[in-house]
Amino acid sequence: MKKPAFLPAVLLLWFVSLANAWAEPVKCFESRKGASEVTQRMIGEDLPNVKCSPKTGAVLWWGNPFDGTVPMGDMPIQDADYTRGKAVVKPRSDKLGLLPLCGNSCHTGSLPKGFPTSKDARELVMMHQAIVLDSTKLPHGRGNIWCLDCHHSTQRNKLVDHRDKPISFDQPQQLCGKCHGEVYRDWREGIHGKRIGEWASTGTKRWFVCTECHNPHNVQHGDRNRGFAQHQPEKAPTLPKGMKTADHERQKH
Amino acid sequence: MEAPVEKPNSRRSFLKSAGSLSISSLLGTAALMTMSDDARANMEWAEWFQGNYRLMSEEEKALARARLERRYSREYGKKVVVDGTPAQEGVLMGYALNIKKCIGCRRCAKACVEENNQSRGKDQEIEWIRVLKMEKGEFSQEKMNQGYPEGLGIQVGGNAYTPVGDVLEGEHYYQPDAVPEKDAAYMPIACMQCEKPPCVKVCPVRTTYREADGPVVIDYNWCIGCRMCMSACPYWARRFNWSDPNLPKEAMNPVTHYLGNRPRMKGVVEKCTFCIQRSRQGRYPACVEVCPTGARKFGNLLDPNSEVSRIIARKNVFRLKAELNTFPKFFYFMD
Repeated sequence: MKKPAFLPAVLLLWFVSLANAWAEPVKCFESRKGASEVTQRMIGEDLPNVKCSPKTGAVLWWGNPFDGTVPMGDMPIQDADYTRGKAVVKPRSDKLGLLPLCGNSCHTGSLPKGFPTSKDARELVMMHQAIVLDSTKLPHGRGNIWCLDCHHSTQRNKLVDHRDKPISFDQPQQLCGKCHGEVYRDWREGIHGKRIGEWASTGTKRWFVCTECHNPHNVQHGDRNRGFAQHQPEKAPTLPKGMKTADHERQKH
Repeated sequence: MEAPVEKPNSRRSFLKSAGSLSISSLLGTAALMTMSDDARANMEWAEWFQGNYRLMSEEEKALARARLERRYSREYGKKVVVDGTPAQEGVLMGYALNIKKCIGCRRCAKACVEENNQSRGKDQEIEWIRVLKMEKGEFSQEKMNQGYPEGLGIQVGGNAYTPVGDVLEGEHYYQPDAVPEKDAAYMPIACMQCEKPPCVKVCPVRTTYREADGPVVIDYNWCIGCRMCMSACPYWARRFNWSDPNLPKEAMNPVTHYLGNRPRMKGVVEKCTFCIQRSRQGRYPACVEVCPTGARKFGNLLDPNSEVSRIIARKNVFRLKAELNTFPKFFYFMD
């Protein structure tokens, strides 16, 4: 008597939970908001790919640090120490939805006729204002550089180095390093920047490339005028029992 | 002369009553050993009587870990692994933190909780990492002659070029809308994994000790909760479980180490172990991975090519309270 009534209820519950799981895939960001997002899912029994902060939506914990990565590939080697271990990066190209279009539709190098390839700043109306509001005042470089100093003039789905060689969007360090040499050196040695995975100098590491932490179009962030954008902090620790406020900390003495 | 009277509390009667007491308590434990969530009820009797982990033989250690795996798996409703990987030859774990890069976002503290199974919630929240907000030092022209003891006699803190007695000593509970705030510097503090740890010196039962590869660990089962180590620690790195830890089943991290993040019980001390369950398997500690600015670095101090060795070789490095001769393996550095 009981069983037939019980079974549909269980099925219903199962469907409801399934529908819930479909309804809201949790998306979190890895380093800074607006770059490299991941969707939460299970990659094993009791093992999520990431755990996220309920307050800020930042990734707090990686189940598999190499999820969705590819080898860093051919980088200019010389004394770079990532050659000792294995370096992997998370490719960004597939996240840039319009990237395959850029090179074909507008910026083929020949179309439209007389398309300017000069690096001088000019006004871009209608286009690209979501990225840089006023193209004559690029916040990066304090007015000394412009879009085409970093973006390839004829292959728009590529970046460009200082010898007009195209650079993949997955390896922006080759581009950034041409001006920020000191930081680039520290980054190569593992002193600057974030990496996750194995700590041994011969281990596999996922390297976070420049643009995963810095917004290249607006690196100065107004007043702050420094490398990393302001963002929301995690919750403060709970006050000790019996303490009502933390005002005592803010008193000058 | 008085006749000798048999004392009511003779040695024999004491032993007798003690024996019957222990038998009855064992029976009580057996009666409680049901499918219960309560940690004490799930404890097997052998766990009550096991020795100091450091003095156990390899077989005893394996048995102790298997016992714990059974208990935790039952309590948390998932397959829990209690690892016992020993220290590796030629490894001395070290840590470096770029004090200029820290933005005070507290992600490290929260990642640590996700990884290390601390108690959470309103009643008892335990975080091993504390991020302090400090006033930024100011070396401006008009303040050049300030900051020296005047009137008060002694300098009570602050930075050298800000007047004494007019400074904050560091905020734990800052909560702005966005960090980093203007004119603020941040200083994360956790266990320094000292080479000469004062906490180890004072432990009366020798349950906390320095492992061969560096981290100072605790055998929670042997800890008597006297909190001597907490008062000996100059860095406020140790936390105490005043009540039963609140660890939700779904949030529990099932990959644990006996000396690391296995769930603790009421009345024991806990602390950072450089995520021993991860670092012994080659993985970065959780706080290193989560730091969005890459201020946290971890590696082998004996390997000249490791990240920490390179930082120590070429950056400005300091250790907190170096004058106490605790020799921390946690280095703060600046670009």
